Amino acid sequence: MADVLSVGVNLEAFAQAISAIQALRSSVSRVFDCLKDGMRNKETLEGREKAFIAHFQDNLQSVNRDLNELERLSNLVGKPSENHPLHNSGLLSLDPVQDKTPLYSQLLQAYKWSNKLQYHAGLASGLLNQQSLKRSANQMGVSAKRRPKAQPTTLVLPPQYVDDVISRIDRMFPEMSIHLSRPNGTSAMLLVTLGKVLKVIVVMRSLFIDRTIVKGYNENVYTEDGKLDIWSKSNYQVFQKVTDHATTALLHYQLPQMPDVVVRSFMTWLRSYIKLFQAPCQRCGKFLQDGLPPTWRDFRTLEAFHDTCRQ
Amino acid sequence: MRPFLLEGGSVSQMPVAEGKSVQQTVELLTRKLEMLGAEKQGTFCVDCETYHTASSTLGSQGQAGKLMYVMHNSEYPLSCFALFENGPCLIADTNFDVLMVKLKGFFQSAKASKIETRGTRYQYCDFLVKVGTVTMGPSARGISVEVEYGPCVVPSDCWSLLLEFLQSFLGSHTPGAPAVFGNRHDAVYGPADTVVQYMELFNKIRKQQQVPVAGIR
Repeated sequence: MADVLSVGVNLEAFAQAISAIQALRSSVSRVFDCLKDGMRNKETLEGREKAFIAHFQDNLQSVNRDLNELERLSNLVGKPSENHPLHNSGLLSLDPVQDKTPLYSQLLQAYKWSNKLQYHAGLASGLLNQQSLKRSANQMGVSAKRRPKAQPTTLVLPPQYVDDVISRIDRMFPEMSIHLSRPNGTSAMLLVTLGKVLKVIVVMRSLFIDRTIVKGYNENVYTEDGKLDIWSKSNYQVFQKVTDHATTALLHYQLPQMPDVVVRSFMTWLRSYIKLFQAPCQRCGKFLQDGLPPTWRDFRTLEAFHDTCRQ
Repeated sequence: MRPFLLEGGSVSQMPVAEGKSVQQTVELLTRKLEMLGAEKQGTFCVDCETYHTASSTLGSQGQAGKLMYVMHNSEYPLSCFALFENGPCLIADTNFDVLMVKLKGFFQSAKASKIETRGTRYQYCDFLVKVGTVTMGPSARGISVEVEYGPCVVPSDCWSLLLEFLQSFLGSHTPGAPAVFGNRHDAVYGPADTVVQYMELFNKIRKQQQVPVAGIR
């Protein structure tokens, strides 16, 4: 804090000036002591007078010396700058009651912290931008002026097109049936029934898959009003695990320019769950691990693994 | 003593260790389950009463009366199950018991026929395990173990999975594949199937009535 205040003040000269003042004070007091003591006891009057005068002169000269020294130092010290570079916050620092209202020190700490935060956030955003998580076809780093005014085409698809794509995928696999509905606006909600194993609720945003929830075949997927329940989790741990895997899958299959290929790959991956309870783990050969069957399906080979067994 | 195994799909027999009583075997099983990590979740009870068709309703041909079983399962507390040996199973609400009283002319209760199993329920991940002592009157006749795997509704799909789970806490006493699976491959499993298996189990135990009930073999 001290170096913030000493703008224009030479600290060393300041300290020296203070000691010079002390020296000056002591030499002046020596002068007066000498005067007070008077003449010393010597043999002749002349000797006494001479000794007194010499002593007096010595003291006056030391006063002179100290005064010159002080003047020299005071020129070096300089003036503290008149303007307050800290403006209002600098006025806070003049509050002497530090323990009751430590406003200025807290202010400084908050400032330093926010500076550090800004710096770290800058570093983090640089690192995160290297791994793009945007699944739409927006270009990164395009300035506001050059960004096209219209939204990217893959985000604004006509609902009829989405319906067509979904119905084509529905016909692809015999054991999987997809039912599309639009209860909340233009985003499609699919209810995928896979054999007699599970039901999946897929919430979409045009042709991009936003969220999935996997539930058992015998669980209720509708709310009390008869609408599709897109929020409540499954009651079974195995399907909660499969829901997590499905969310990983929808983030894995990304192709911003061709979202229908993405949906197709996701459905192919999902279809491998038809043998959820029948397939043993490819790595350990067993069916159960901590009470769960192999819930992970490899993204390329569609082989079954336990969550803890996957490479 | 012979404990009996029954799960979401099968009924079979398994021998018990020498020198153990029913209670000790039950304790052994429950301790193994708890070591596996299962949590106790209350108790259960399945009981069965036998009725036979009253002689007055039998035709002049003298056909044998059919046996009807009326069962309750604490897993479905508001229901009552009525079934014939190889016939259909009716799921009704608990007023059915009162109805049986009114049908006294047609169905008569067999004497001392009430058999039941009581015990504790355990939950392990998605498995529901019920270990109970089968009693007929005051005497304990055997042990019933029921394992239910909730997420799967088609029993033939998850048999291997169930088998592996059973092996983990029953050791060498695991039963073979059940006969019930062969009939209906893809049919959805329901509470009636569980109750049918309990009925078969109770019948097996009843047939062993002649075996002297001894605490230690």
